[in-house]
Amino acid sequence: MILVRHAEALLWAGRYLERAENTSRCLNYAANSITHLRAEEARVESELLVRTLGLTEELQAAGPLESRPQLIAFLLSDSDNPGSVVSSVSAVRENLRSVRDRIPIELWEEANGLYLRFPFLGHANNAPKELHEVLLMVRRACLAVSGVLNEGMRRDEGHALMVVGRMLERSIFTVNLLEASCSDPRGALEASRMLRLTSSTQAYHRQYGNAPDFEIVVRYLLHAADLPRSVRSCLSHAEESLNSLASGASALDRPRRRTALVRSRLEFGDIADGLSSAPVQTLSELALELAALADDVQAGFVPPLALSEIHSQYLRPGTADGAAS
Amino acid sequence: MADVNGNGLSGSPSMLLDGYDASRVYDEVFDADGAVRGAYSRIVERFSELDAAELQRLGELVADEFRRQGITFTVYSEDEGTERIWPMDLFPRLIAAAEWEELARGLAQRVTALNCFLSDLYSGEAAVLADGLVPRWLAVSSRGFERNAVGITVPHGAHCNIAGIDVVRGASGRYQVLEDNLRNPSGISYVAENRAAMAKVCSWLFEDHTVQPTEQYGQMLRSTLESMAPGGADHARLVVLTPGIFNSAYFEHAFLARSMGVELVEGRDLVVEDHTVYSRTIEGLVKVDVIYRRIDDDFLDPVAFRPDSSLGVPGLLGALRAGTVTVCNALGNGVADDKAVYPYVPDLIRYYLGAEPIIDNVTTYTMWDEEQRAEALGRLHELVAKPVGESGGYGVLIGPHASEQELQAARAAITAEPREWIVQELVQLSTLPALAEDRLEPRHLDLRPFVLTAERTEVFPGGLTRVAMRRGSLIVNSSQGGGSKDTWVLAPESP
Repeated sequence: MILVRHAEALLWAGRYLERAENTSRCLNYAANSITHLRAEEARVESELLVRTLGLTEELQAAGPLESRPQLIAFLLSDSDNPGSVVSSVSAVRENLRSVRDRIPIELWEEANGLYLRFPFLGHANNAPKELHEVLLMVRRACLAVSGVLNEGMRRDEGHALMVVGRMLERSIFTVNLLEASCSDPRGALEASRMLRLTSSTQAYHRQYGNAPDFEIVVRYLLHAADLPRSVRSCLSHAEESLNSLASGASALDRPRRRTALVRSRLEFGDIADGLSSAPVQTLSELALELAALADDVQAGFVPPLALSEIHSQYLRPGTADGAAS
Repeated sequence: MADVNGNGLSGSPSMLLDGYDASRVYDEVFDADGAVRGAYSRIVERFSELDAAELQRLGELVADEFRRQGITFTVYSEDEGTERIWPMDLFPRLIAAAEWEELARGLAQRVTALNCFLSDLYSGEAAVLADGLVPRWLAVSSRGFERNAVGITVPHGAHCNIAGIDVVRGASGRYQVLEDNLRNPSGISYVAENRAAMAKVCSWLFEDHTVQPTEQYGQMLRSTLESMAPGGADHARLVVLTPGIFNSAYFEHAFLARSMGVELVEGRDLVVEDHTVYSRTIEGLVKVDVIYRRIDDDFLDPVAFRPDSSLGVPGLLGALRAGTVTVCNALGNGVADDKAVYPYVPDLIRYYLGAEPIIDNVTTYTMWDEEQRAEALGRLHELVAKPVGESGGYGVLIGPHASEQELQAARAAITAEPREWIVQELVQLSTLPALAEDRLEPRHLDLRPFVLTAERTEVFPGGLTRVAMRRGSLIVNSSQGGGSKDTWVLAPESP
């Protein structure tokens, strides 16, 4: 039986691990593609990337991106940006550190090893070659962590929670990407770029064997059962992992139901219809659904109502309201 | 100066040991004539095959290993307050089997007597005070004496389940106890990690010896703690209670939980209902039977102790009193490892066990005794003064190293508050070679073996050897620049 605090830490370790990988993939894309664009096009595309990563508010706090180096610094090494690679890697490490007694030593070592390269990350200049090396290092380290997670970790609650975290974060990223692409009238993030940003180009070509078609790509990234980054695939894995968690955890019933509902709507239901008639609205609603699902999962571990029921009968001195200490 | 290159070592003379001076104090490796002591002959030969660059390279490998694994500790006084890599010197400390057996018997004897003292004080009739062996005023004025613990019985009368006893060797070569640590002795994780690192980086060193393993500590500790469960060992649920990831010993707390296969909890993970302690899991509340706490008494329960503590568990004292949970080590052990009580331990051994102490104390002067105080203050320049309320080497005045101004200040402080000080004869701690830039030089060291007690008392083989890395320094604490060494207890059949 896993502690509530450990459950939360592992869930977030999974989310931040995926976030580090997503951000580094976006950076890689930005480094290779935006360089070839005119200044205005690059600015638009940078904004779309930031929106895809769910960092619009953080960018507003940081100030406008006026150059490519600024975009790279914001996404790579800005420690005030919770979605930057540095912040994500740091968060993975801190969360795993708080549960290091219950995860494989190798998992901790890989996460700690990545964190220890921070000075390298922080001082990386923006020359394409060095940036490429930094991103390659981050990506390989993320893959190493994933490898230990998959191959070295017992299939217990901790493993299930990290998988749930990763799948939630991944599905949110993919839907954000689709929404940003569909809602951009300039079509800056066209089909092939969506595939690149989800590492799905090769899979798409093997499946469809032709030049990417925007609508097909959108449906592919939403519905494909065999694509690791499709929303349906992510939700199936999340559902499976949530179901594997202890049956006594009744507070997880709500996120279990919601996951199954969204997954089945993708698999059998109305989302496909909505994409034909009102794609932006459909994707926006799906994004909200996923955000609500993430909230439900979080609340499932730290249920506010249940907490008030299990507070200590011994109050901390000075707490007059009877709240849990 | 001992000519350590004239000792008939096989192979080329070791540049590393050139000029090694073993004549000033008891050296663990070389006797006063520069001859290698028996147990170390093969180790000295092995090291004589290395040069400084190779030894430094191996040291860096160990440091990398520790860095990668996050084997760290935190020094709070540093501005940055960041984690430091655990320092380890590669030249191991060896303890021959017979020598260890004697030491272990002495440690077990001492901890048994201290447990009797605690049991007498908290759940007995305090006969030791009534009989005047330890002055009542001294015991009850101890900061470690916990009135709230009076009347709380613990299984097997074992108040101190995990003890770390600091022992040293002076000029005579005999072990002496320098300090008892009966509350939250730390360092066992570094014992295991030092060995693991040595086995990886210097596996060839082990080829000539049979060394007692260190990886069984978790199993030993788990058995000890399980047998402290109020309802018996079967299905007992243990947890390790940590202040959290920012605590200086967090690495150790995680190590303990992992090596025992139990949860590492913080105070906020636990809740007390109906005088029973539960942990908050995603399936609801689950009863806890034994808490191996790594936080101090004052922070354990904000209702009973410090109200500003956010580390503890409200209501824990009530659960303890109800007997539904055991907290290890027990509340109030600080009275028995109070430095002011230390001078009485040999008498406690005689009183409770009817036996002579196997390991002696360092000669100690009690400052509340006028006669002893007068003598000590007159010779303070050659003695060591220790404030009884400090730990980690802080506040210690080493007479021969102190200025006249410092000595005067210490005399004034002792005269003003004699209860707060003890004064001891200076023990010139024994030395062992440690790498200092490009050569091995003698460095002072101590040893902290760990003693586990429940139904019976067991001494874990070896312990944490701490070494002062600065030349001539007697302060071995890692928080003050000390390092560590792998400690090898040799099996009886080992050469």
